Amino acid sequence: MKIVVTVKLVPDPNAEKRIDPQTKRIVRTGVETVLNPYDEYALEAALQLKERAGGESRVTVFSMAPEPLKETLRKALAMGADDAVILSDAGLEGSDVWASAYAIAAALRKLEFDLLIVGGLTDDSSTGAVPGALAEHLGLPCVTNARKVDLAEGALEVERETDVGYQTVRTPMPALLTTALTFGEPRYASLKGIMGAKKKTIAATALADLALDLPVGTGGSKTELRDFAPPPPRGKGQTVEAADGPAGAQAIFDFLQAKKLV
Amino acid sequence: MQHVIVFVEHRQGQTRKITFELATEARRIADALGGKACAVVLGAGAAQLAEQLKIYPLDTIYVAEDGDVDAYLLDPNVDYLQAVAQRIGPSLVLIPNTLSGRDVAGRIMVRLSAGIVADVVDMHVSGGEVVCVSPKLGGALITNCALRPGDYGVVTVRPSAFAAAAAGSGAEIVPLEKPAKSYPAAIERDVEEGIGELALEEAPVVVAGGRGLGGPEPFDTLLKPLARALGGAVGASRAAADAGWVPYNLQIGQTGKTVTPKLYIAVGISGAIQHKVGMRASGTIVAINKDGAAPIAEFSDLLVVGDAFRIVPELTKLIDTAKGHLS
Ligand SMILES: Cc1cc2nc3c(=O)[nH]c(=O)nc-3n(C[C@H](O)[C@H](O)[C@H](O)COP(=O)(O)OP(=O)(O)OC[C@H]3O[C@@H](n4cnc5c(N)ncnc54)[C@H](O)[C@@H]3O)c2cc1C
Ligand SMILES: Nc1ncnc2c1ncn2[C@@H]1O[C@H](COP(=O)(O)O)[C@@H](O)[C@H]1O
Repeated sequence: MKIVVTVKLVPDPNAEKRIDPQTKRIVRTGVETVLNPYDEYALEAALQLKERAGGESRVTVFSMAPEPLKETLRKALAMGADDAVILSDAGLEGSDVWASAYAIAAALRKLEFDLLIVGGLTDDSSTGAVPGALAEHLGLPCVTNARKVDLAEGALEVERETDVGYQTVRTPMPALLTTALTFGEPRYASLKGIMGAKKKTIAATALADLALDLPVGTGGSKTELRDFAPPPPRGKGQTVEAADGPAGAQAIFDFLQAKKLV
Repeated sequence: MQHVIVFVEHRQGQTRKITFELATEARRIADALGGKACAVVLGAGAAQLAEQLKIYPLDTIYVAEDGDVDAYLLDPNVDYLQAVAQRIGPSLVLIPNTLSGRDVAGRIMVRLSAGIVADVVDMHVSGGEVVCVSPKLGGALITNCALRPGDYGVVTVRPSAFAAAAAGSGAEIVPLEKPAKSYPAAIERDVEEGIGELALEEAPVVVAGGRGLGGPEPFDTLLKPLARALGGAVGASRAAADAGWVPYNLQIGQTGKTVTPKLYIAVGISGAIQHKVGMRASGTIVAINKDGAAPIAEFSDLLVVGDAFRIVPELTKLIDTAKGHLS
């Protein structure tokens, strides 16, 4: 089975995002670029399915990202992906969700796969619209939030989380899946994996290889960021040490009453 | 973009407040654009729900009670929504920002070659253009994003961001024709687990518990009574959901629900960034935590340092007593 996993490269999610009040830009200095955490779960699912399917199975990771970030993908290779493809092009700068999904879909069309696994969200932009968009562009059945997948003859039996519980869904392949975090914690790269990753290939492609019909980048985008600002500051509130239960309760009660919340 | 279409999410005709919020907002935007406000209601229970929607200020409600909608994963929804959009012409599609709403949004965006703005909390029309306000980077940034001129636009809207106001003059109900199509992803089982009486996103007060509660029982014995006393709902951190103490649909945060209640009480929750992004826009935040140095201290209005097991029952008593005096 051939599996492709999409991976976005994002600023470290645990770093508090700050805006420089002068430049109004996100402060990136000292913030490391990492694999989008949700995509690590997608990769974990791919690796588990590869192990189960056995045979000639392969996992390829795909990312659209600036070329200098390429080496970040080694982590995915160290975890066990077989190879990687990166789409980089100055012409992609400023692409919105529509333009990004359009370009990613075109690049994925050049890869062969039975299963495309996409992360559920990106930590930095969190639109969650890319998976559905890719499914449409590529004409694939789209099953999101999978927490368990069974392989059946040419089909997948998927258990997926919903807003109110869960569903089981059966879909033919090729198909697109997104994973819920409950699929399983991403594995750590072993020392052997890290060493092996150095020899695996990261193939580069650019817009010229894709022959797109429509423009991408800022010019091809259908939305335009006008301005942005940090939210009104939420001052650090008060801290009260509670001597005992009743004292703690009274402190909260008085506070709520002063705010007319009780 | 001239008209506005609301995609209605429901189960067997039961819907959430977001539907009425979107119906109300659709009217406002449609008036500003000089077009019509419509809604699309699909699947079992659609006809009955459409009747209920008539008291909201919509012009047309498109309905299809088609069994395929509930038998196949989202594809029929996307087909019907596309058919309506193409039938009425250039329009803005409003979709709830929920798990399945996001899936519909990504797909209809491609079908309609539309731009998309996600997680919108405010909107206005200026110079014929729709401009959306949306928090990004986990709320660290509030952006103004315009949909560029084009036939269609898609917006996913955060629950509880807009007010709902019934002011209808009786929308016309129009049945839709069933597309002649077959669908690949069949739903074999659909299970509902422990939904609260009050939807988390709609609750005016949320009492959320975390790993500090140590097990499932305190959610019932400590948090539920407090939530009931305050007229609110119980939520949880991911740690509590991961431990199996509560179902995942109570989880608040980046991978769970985004809530904006008037009052948020975090009990035994440390305040990790992925939790914070789901509740930081709440009106007032109160935390109860054993650890005065927990990250939640940085963004709560009041942190009481102490043992939740001792504080919460006393607090519930105080509130109940106060209510008793009033009634
Ligand atoms: C990709 C990704 C997505 C995530 N998405 C989410 C999400 O959507 N929502 C979410 O919540 N998390 C999410 N997380 C997890 C998040 O990083 C934290 O691990 C989680 O929020 C911690 O939950 P907690 O605060 O309940 O537990 P802990 O961090 O363990 O905190 C427990 C707190 O309870 C206090 N405590 C202990 N005993 C008592 C007592 N008796 N009385 C009072 N206080 C007590 C402790 O002092 C501590 O501060 C995500 C993580 C990742 C990697
Ligand atoms: N630039 C990108 N390169 C590769 N995959 C991406 C990119 N952007 C988004 N994705 C994929 O789409 C998923 C959802 O992204 P989003 O819709 O932006 O929240 C991510 O988890 C990734 O798997």
